[in-house]
Amino acid sequence: MTLLTEATDVFAAAESSGRCVVAFLCKRQPVPPGAFGAREREEIATVLRSLQAEDWRLSVRAMFDPESSVEPTAFDSGFACAIDFAGAFEAPSLSAALAGSVRLEQAGWSRRFATEWLLGPREFTTVSGLGDAFRRDWGFLAFWEWNDAWAAATGLVRREYDAECDVAFKGDLALEIGIAGRHRLDWATSWHHLGIWEAPSLAAIDAAMLGHERAADFKFTTSRHIIGRRRPLADLIALN
Amino acid sequence: MSDCIWIHYARPRPHWYGLDEGAQRQKQAAWRAVADASKKAGGTCHGRYHVRGQHDFETVETWSFPDAEAAFRHWAELTAAGYGECNAFANNIGLSVEAPR
Repeated sequence: MTLLTEATDVFAAAESSGRCVVAFLCKRQPVPPGAFGAREREEIATVLRSLQAEDWRLSVRAMFDPESSVEPTAFDSGFACAIDFAGAFEAPSLSAALAGSVRLEQAGWSRRFATEWLLGPREFTTVSGLGDAFRRDWGFLAFWEWNDAWAAATGLVRREYDAECDVAFKGDLALEIGIAGRHRLDWATSWHHLGIWEAPSLAAIDAAMLGHERAADFKFTTSRHIIGRRRPLADLIALN
Repeated sequence: MSDCIWIHYARPRPHWYGLDEGAQRQKQAAWRAVADASKKAGGTCHGRYHVRGQHDFETVETWSFPDAEAAFRHWAELTAAGYGECNAFANNIGLSVEAPR
């Protein structure tokens, strides 16, 4: 696979992994009595167990450390944006990712949640931040599109830009943020890339954003950021 | 049997209009070669249609591919040939609702 952008000091290519992110942005929708209940929740749980057995990773935490976490989790984001909860799984292939999102929808997910599924292969490997990974209870999903100015820039200008952004990414790691690599979304969405972070606090995410602004990260991108607090996916699905 | 639909919206980026005709033709020929190779590999292009006026984009193109990986390969080859640098775009992938899974 040709990388959409080049590897840097912080980010190393993960071309052989073949893994595919299954990110989801969910809005709860009102349903009539009986349309979504214990039966649908159990059917979704059954599909999730099957996906686990098919070598899926069902949380961002599991992307860093597959052995440490088997419980499906996502990020409760309704307090901060129009998305009620958001998260990311990782499937063993693109085809598995696409089919898996449909299996979840058909198990009852689509009755309760209006969901944007965003799929794409892993380009860069995970990068662990300083400090204790298990203190990172906050999630941050960054979707971005390279803009016209980036598209018109020379390779040299882009490499200089990547080096400036790397300074900011090293600052993120020093803030005890873990970066789950980078996934490529451009083949099937309007976004080009997804970066997912685990962070110890909202303050750490805010400080990191200031660092990226200082590095002029956003001169070449249009970005959408989702923040949320980690919770078991089963709780987020059951919540009224 | 083709079982994935791939929908591709595009419009030229501003700097496309600054390229001379020869440079534009050269790039278009490279993208056509990618499309031809994807067809030989089992993809089917259903055509390219003009939607400017109803959409942010200028054209929409739809393809069928045997699987998601084939759609990704087609797109990865196009971007490697500089397509995304000259065109803004948005893509979608979908499974046939009739096909067995």
